[in-house]
Amino acid sequence: MKKLLNLLPLAFFAGLVVTLFFLLGKDNAELKSVMIEKNFPSFSLSTLENPNVYIDQTSIKKLPALINIWATWCIACRVEHPFLMELKDKSIISIYGLNYKERDNGDKARKLLSRIGNPYEFSFFDPKGKLAIDLGVYGAPETFFIDKNGLIKIRHVGPLTADIWEEKFNVLLKK
Amino acid sequence: MIPELGHLFLISALVLTFVTGFLPYIGAVIGRHIFFNYVFTISKFSFLLISISLICLIYSFLVDDFSVMYVASNSNTNLPFYYKLTATWGAHEGSLLLWIFFISLWKVLYLNRNGSEENFNIIALTIINQVVFTFIAFTLFTSNPFERILPLSPIQGNDLNPLLQDFAFTIHPPLLYLGYSGLVVPFAMAVAAMLTGNTDSLWCRFARPWVLLSSGFLTLGISVGSWWAYYELGWGGWWFWDPVENMAFVPWLVSVALIHSLITSEKRGLYRNWSLLLSILAFATSLLGTFLVRSGILTSVHAFALDPERGVFILAIFFYFICGSLLIYFFKNSKIREEATYNILSKEFGFLLNNILLVVLALSILFGTIFPLIYEAINGRQISVGAPYFDFLIIPFAVGLSFLQGLGLYLGWHSTKSFNFLIRLLVETFTIMIIIFLVLYFLFGEGNFYLLLSILAFSWILSGTILDKPFNTKTSKEIRDFLYYRAEVIFAHLGTAFLILGVGVVSAYSMETEVLLAPGEEFKLGDSKFTFKEIKTRKEQNYNSTQARLAVSTHNSSYDLITEKRYYPFANQMMTEAGIKTLITKDFYVTLGDELGEKYSFRLQIKPFVRWIWFGALMVAIGTFLSAYRQRKRNEKIT
Repeated sequence: MKKLLNLLPLAFFAGLVVTLFFLLGKDNAELKSVMIEKNFPSFSLSTLENPNVYIDQTSIKKLPALINIWATWCIACRVEHPFLMELKDKSIISIYGLNYKERDNGDKARKLLSRIGNPYEFSFFDPKGKLAIDLGVYGAPETFFIDKNGLIKIRHVGPLTADIWEEKFNVLLKK
Repeated sequence: MIPELGHLFLISALVLTFVTGFLPYIGAVIGRHIFFNYVFTISKFSFLLISISLICLIYSFLVDDFSVMYVASNSNTNLPFYYKLTATWGAHEGSLLLWIFFISLWKVLYLNRNGSEENFNIIALTIINQVVFTFIAFTLFTSNPFERILPLSPIQGNDLNPLLQDFAFTIHPPLLYLGYSGLVVPFAMAVAAMLTGNTDSLWCRFARPWVLLSSGFLTLGISVGSWWAYYELGWGGWWFWDPVENMAFVPWLVSVALIHSLITSEKRGLYRNWSLLLSILAFATSLLGTFLVRSGILTSVHAFALDPERGVFILAIFFYFICGSLLIYFFKNSKIREEATYNILSKEFGFLLNNILLVVLALSILFGTIFPLIYEAINGRQISVGAPYFDFLIIPFAVGLSFLQGLGLYLGWHSTKSFNFLIRLLVETFTIMIIIFLVLYFLFGEGNFYLLLSILAFSWILSGTILDKPFNTKTSKEIRDFLYYRAEVIFAHLGTAFLILGVGVVSAYSMETEVLLAPGEEFKLGDSKFTFKEIKTRKEQNYNSTQARLAVSTHNSSYDLITEKRYYPFANQMMTEAGIKTLITKDFYVTLGDELGEKYSFRLQIKPFVRWIWFGALMVAIGTFLSAYRQRKRNEKIT
């Protein structure tokens, strides 16, 4: 009996480790979004490339597609940038940018893209974060996956990497 | 170049800590004493490497090297240089490096000032080196602060989180980490004691100063954090039962329990198994705090980047050290025989109760912190255990612990000879209680039941710790001796008494309201009158500010209060700075809200006795450090 009692602390902490391990198993990056399985919200914004052209949800023509939230002030966006370029160069999927909360008229963002390369079909220019609020965006970078019927299927928070692409996105793309 | 050097030094330290942490055991298994004799020298050298590595990171911040991703994410050319310095530990990667630096610092302190025999020390050192090794590996593989963004490095960085651009923040994390990481020493000593079989009371004696030091730093770290939350978050609260706060409070409770159980183990040879177990538990809760904050399981103001991969790594570290040491405990503890006996009305029993209360409280808080996560995982719904559970939980424990504190100095080892003091103590307690109650009544009006309870606890501890002494001593020398030799207990216990009274009063008498005021208008809260004087805007180096000036007048004096809203353009964040005026009995606390037409909204608060909380905590810390110093001196005498 005393022997068993001495095993108690070990059992307690081993149990705790197991519990925490399973809590970790939940994918935290896949934050619950009310938008999953819904149509892309309607909006009207100008494009980053041409401030005079206004577009809406119907302009996302090449489906399936990724909507990638990015900004010049976002450091982590630089990290995922080469991978987005790779997706574009290999024509794996079309990507639409959502340029989020810039503090100028978009000059900085345009210059940046011409310097490091533009992976996007085009970017929506959303300095106030209006569309981002409708999508429930926390910050940049975030990536949404829209299937061929125009439904939002995945929301990913944080930089997109090859591993995450294989694990979460590619499966859906192949369906 | 410099970041690469830092990286290189960290990798070298990884190799050296592996050599000193694991090779001696491999050597023991294959029967050759490799590296055993070099543990001391190599340990010092690895500390040197880690220090240089930390300096390299600080340097990268000071020179705005934005090609380093960590610098680019947490600093900015417009940041004043002292915030560039503190930005080093402003996020996950850098704070981890600071953590590693502190553990190595404790290691070097330990090897320079130890009293135990050499084998014991070497084993303890290998354990600490193992801890350093695993954390360097964690840093390098999952959270490298020296990672570069090349060749397209940004010309300007993100900003340091504006919440963290503050004086208290410059000292809060280092203090807390010193406390957290210091618990590695008693842990390593407990493991060494079990492995060498020296589980007599000697190691307890040598472990005590280290526990006291860690506990003291935890006290300071937690109270600075609470003070920071009070004036910086702009809510006027001082404790939120935020999961991360809890995870600092839990190791503190365990460390306090350990301090008391080590005394018993040292003086009477009792509870030695328990002291071993508590040393492990203290380090376990400290590691668990690290895990919960950095794995992204918890969402809170404090949480670092979301990253499950990091979580698995820390969980593995936790499993190795805690379950490993508990396994050793399982095999070794039955060899310890405790023969001392004691009466139920004795100091031994008092310490036993103290330990039960502290540990049960610690585990309940731990449970309340983790339970919502488990619940959500099972039911898919989020629940918040939150403040009501913890507020309700802590009261009976606080009452029990206060009761013991008042009695503590009267209880004798083995048994207590006489309980004649009890009547006297009760009379004194109730006298003080009535006086305090009347004073508070005239100052602030009617209180509530919990206020009475806190006054009772305060009066009881005050009488039992210091006030009754002149009544039961005969000469003034006796009193002087008492004050001198028991100074640490007096400080620590009176500190808690002040803290409890502060909590009781601030909870019972706080007043707050939200008002809309145009410049020139006034509002009366209690018997204080707030007048909105003027509003103006100005531009600072790294933020824009809107500043409101108010005057508050009570009876015949008047004070100016300045509250502001700051906009940090680089981080795109708003911050509220509270305007606070501190008097001995209360704080006036105002925060500026939104602009609505001509008017501005304000939150006005009056917080009586709130400073007593931190004053009490400071006294506890002083007592703890004093005790560490004295125990150290005593230990030097016997070696």
